[in-house]
Amino acid sequence: MEGDNKERGNLVEIWEDNVDIKDLLIAMIFCVGFSLGGYVVAFGETPPLIFGLGGGVIGFIISSILIKPKRKLTMLKEGEE
Amino acid sequence: MDPTIIMQMILAGVLGAILYTIIGIAPGTDETAVLAPVTIALALLGLSPHVILAFFISAIVAKKLTDSIPVAIAGIPGGVMAAPMVEHAMVLKQHGLPDVSIRKMASGSVIGTLVSLPVSLLIAYLILPVADTVAEYAGLIFTLGAIFLALLTRNKILSLAIIVPFAMLIMGLRHLYWGLGIVPEDTNVFVSFFLGITIGPIAFTLFELLNKKMRKNMPRVGYKEIDMRKTGKEKGFPNPFKILTKKESITSAIGSLFGTITFFLTPVGMTVFWGELITRHIKDPVQRASRAISTMDGLTNATYIAGTLIPLIAIGLPLSPMAIGPAAGLFNAPPVFTPEHNIHHLLSIGEIMTATIIGAAIALAITFFITIKFSTQICAVVFKYIPHEALIGLFAGLVVMLAYMDAGVMNIFGTILVALVAGLLYRNGVNYGVMFMVLYAAPWMLGLF
Repeated sequence: MEGDNKERGNLVEIWEDNVDIKDLLIAMIFCVGFSLGGYVVAFGETPPLIFGLGGGVIGFIISSILIKPKRKLTMLKEGEE
Repeated sequence: MDPTIIMQMILAGVLGAILYTIIGIAPGTDETAVLAPVTIALALLGLSPHVILAFFISAIVAKKLTDSIPVAIAGIPGGVMAAPMVEHAMVLKQHGLPDVSIRKMASGSVIGTLVSLPVSLLIAYLILPVADTVAEYAGLIFTLGAIFLALLTRNKILSLAIIVPFAMLIMGLRHLYWGLGIVPEDTNVFVSFFLGITIGPIAFTLFELLNKKMRKNMPRVGYKEIDMRKTGKEKGFPNPFKILTKKESITSAIGSLFGTITFFLTPVGMTVFWGELITRHIKDPVQRASRAISTMDGLTNATYIAGTLIPLIAIGLPLSPMAIGPAAGLFNAPPVFTPEHNIHHLLSIGEIMTATIIGAAIALAITFFITIKFSTQICAVVFKYIPHEALIGLFAGLVVMLAYMDAGVMNIFGTILVALVAGLLYRNGVNYGVMFMVLYAAPWMLGLF
């Protein structure tokens, strides 16, 4: 298969939805990195867990911006099948 | 009660409802993964127990109301708990009735909440005198629960056969951590093993992707095509009792009652078991599906609330799958809450009920209204802008971090080990319920030998 074939045939289904393996890897690196990183570098009186959760959210937001959802939405009008 | 505390509870309830309305819709979000870390974090922040409880109850009610929306609209479960409902919701979708699905499910949830609140209180009162004895037999109860659930799975022999080995895996890792001095000997590593089981199937798939041969053979798919149907407009404030037929209201209530009584068993297992049992006799597919989804939704909601409230009021130990999973933070969030000093000990029964009722009422008012009115719009936004990869990533990130928090770097690998074994078993027909029960029963069970 060649280059621009994301539309069909390049994705795998994981947990009820379709993902691109490369994008998944990117998202995992960002999310795991930021949450674990946040927990480890935590400072001050704030519990490290807060840093970890915050890191997870940051990782999630970054990957949401970088990665396009692999879903094709079609709106059906009433009565259509 | 102090009016400032009441205001704070209301505020917490509103926040919980809004946040978990969105999280509920996102596909594949697991209850424990999204609820436990946030509750633990709130506890560690030193918020008042009233506020934490109100937030938690509002969050579960909201999450439960919304995780069935994507099921109805697109056939994708919004959470593990919504999975049993997919089959029935698809029947209604095929008949062009997704908005009926949503309304029935949401109304079932409302009934589940209304039934389980008083019944949970009643059961808690009944248990109170024998609470100490029950706590003593928890191990036995969980072991019997594991056997019972194993008999309900599609691979009964394997499910029964893995009970002891799986307990050995859990206890083996715990003893290893104790032996190496990673955690003190009275600390049972729990949350990360629990999450390990939860992510088992997905972790197994991810590791398979590392195998080039498997990767080549994996079925490739294109973009997920989702046909969404605009739902009809609902005028005025929706009334759940008008949305459900009399029979549906009654079976929802009965299902919720059973769900409340079996609070100590795993919610997914009970949902499938009671849901199918109550609706098995109905012939017409549409009627059967609509009865099944309203009943199951009521039931899951009821087991959630009962599983949290009953142990919280009566025992103070997390003696239900719900309490030990998603609600774990209310019982154990060291150093703020410990099994000897948690919400059970800090709040009176009246205070627990007040916080619960405030949380539940706010979530029902906000989320039920939103669910019925704007379900299609919210779904479209979530489907359009939230990539599945990011959700899996976030989930993996939380699990890795919590594993590290539980017992350091070593436990990240320990959790991967648990996840891989759980994933392999899951693939072969052992359901989550059996593994969760074994996880709870392991110390007692292996003590027998």
